[in-house]
Amino acid sequence: MATGDKSDQGNLHSALVALQEVVRRAAAASRFQAHSEERLLQLIVDATVSLFAAQSASVALFERDPDRLEFRVAGGAQSTGVVGISVAPTDGVVGYVFSTGESLALSDIAADPRFDRAVAERIGYVPGSVAAVPLVSEDQVVGVLEVFDKNTNESFNVRDMELLAAFAAQAGAAIAGTRVQHDLPVLLASSLRQIVPDMSDDQVRELVSTATKDLDVERDRPFWALVDQVSSLRDLGEEELELVGDILGVVATHQTHRGRSGGR
Amino acid sequence: MPTAEELPAWTEPFAESTRGRLARLPALEAIDREWAWGGSTGAGVTVGIVDSGVEADHPQIAGRVVESLAVELREGEPSVIQDTGTDLFGHGTACAGIIVGMAPDVELVSMRVLGSDLKGKGAAFAAGLEHLIRRPVQVANLSLSSKSEALLPVFHGLADEAYFRRVVLVSAVNNVLGPSYPSLFSSVISVAAHSESDPWRFYYNPNPPVEFGARGLNVPVAWRGGGLTVGTGNSFAAPHITALVALILSKHPGLAPFEVKAVLAAVANNERPG
Repeated sequence: MATGDKSDQGNLHSALVALQEVVRRAAAASRFQAHSEERLLQLIVDATVSLFAAQSASVALFERDPDRLEFRVAGGAQSTGVVGISVAPTDGVVGYVFSTGESLALSDIAADPRFDRAVAERIGYVPGSVAAVPLVSEDQVVGVLEVFDKNTNESFNVRDMELLAAFAAQAGAAIAGTRVQHDLPVLLASSLRQIVPDMSDDQVRELVSTATKDLDVERDRPFWALVDQVSSLRDLGEEELELVGDILGVVATHQTHRGRSGGR
Repeated sequence: MPTAEELPAWTEPFAESTRGRLARLPALEAIDREWAWGGSTGAGVTVGIVDSGVEADHPQIAGRVVESLAVELREGEPSVIQDTGTDLFGHGTACAGIIVGMAPDVELVSMRVLGSDLKGKGAAFAAGLEHLIRRPVQVANLSLSSKSEALLPVFHGLADEAYFRRVVLVSAVNNVLGPSYPSLFSSVISVAAHSESDPWRFYYNPNPPVEFGARGLNVPVAWRGGGLTVGTGNSFAAPHITALVALILSKHPGLAPFEVKAVLAAVANNERPG
């Protein structure tokens, strides 16, 4: 790169500003997407509980740093307190299904003192039977769908396993369809390398770090609070949405006028 | 007229003077369970368990484990190491218990391919399977399959190597659609579950990809920590077939994998025409 060239530096600065804008918008988009993914998973979990007439069902997804299976959604009468719990990816039935990508059902597990005891005690519910299937997205296991205790007290049979696998296929497709890669620096770095293939690793690293420097800090700022609010409004009906749009429009117009009259 | 010695090697076994050596199996109609495994207890057969480990001191395993191995990743490269006789989850012990219950005199080799450090799972699985094929074992029970399209050539090569070395691979089919290697390959015995309770009852399905159905519903199984539980799934059906293969090979050592499949198909509980 030419050194001390003013137009080059000017271009670089504009590029950096543009990059920062992209990063902000991508971060906003990922917050939107995160909600829709969870809504879809909740639908599937609730349908699972209903179809199997079961006490509880849950979805755990694999998360990194630290590597863990985090319970993201749960449904059914015995589902309180499950969401938010994390287990190691090698723990219990859910760990086995995640590690192998194979389906598994166990009954008579109350008799086994070692079965997922930590989770069971935390939520105050020790299941008698469980069926678990892997969630597969793009040929990778990304999580586990579990269902516990049919109300009839019957154990899960082979047809139940196949039906559960069909539900898991839907969940896997949902994850593939809605998940924007959460790790923005990684996404950004790979995009940069595609656009400018001969950029060195150090240059990529520096650009990405500059662009994402203040992103976490902004997480609690009013802007992000607004993004979250808007995202949660999507369940409103048409009339309510129009009303919200009108209110936002009034506020925006008011701000513009204040800006023009020099006030702040 | 060329003599038997002058013919190219491939045709040698079929020459008039040498094809007397080809007598092997009786006609399939003549094969029954008495011929297949009558009196057999699995003695002399080593069974590989590719899974989460096998708890060697579990009462149901009754000391049948002769070797406990695991795959370790060193700088990303998998290598096979000695392991403790423990089970990370319980599933390997469950499979081993089913096999020992039906073929009490087999020797077991546990190959643990699961673990918190085994992030490159497919590569670890392939390395463990390769080790067992070359050790060799006579039959390997695989309770998992790789979902990686990229590893298809590796597992295809291993399935072929096993076939030609006379190592029978028995694998549970996965309910989740998508790549599943090596269970989908033609030389591997693929197994799904049926709903009946007799462990000796199994069916042959002439329409692949799943070839055999064995007991997989509410199977009482050994589990981690000396425990017991009740399991359902294709992965509990596969060990039932593995046990039958071990019984057959104990009574008829040296059978090729296709002959083992033919024997299983001949004595399956399928209804017979006529």
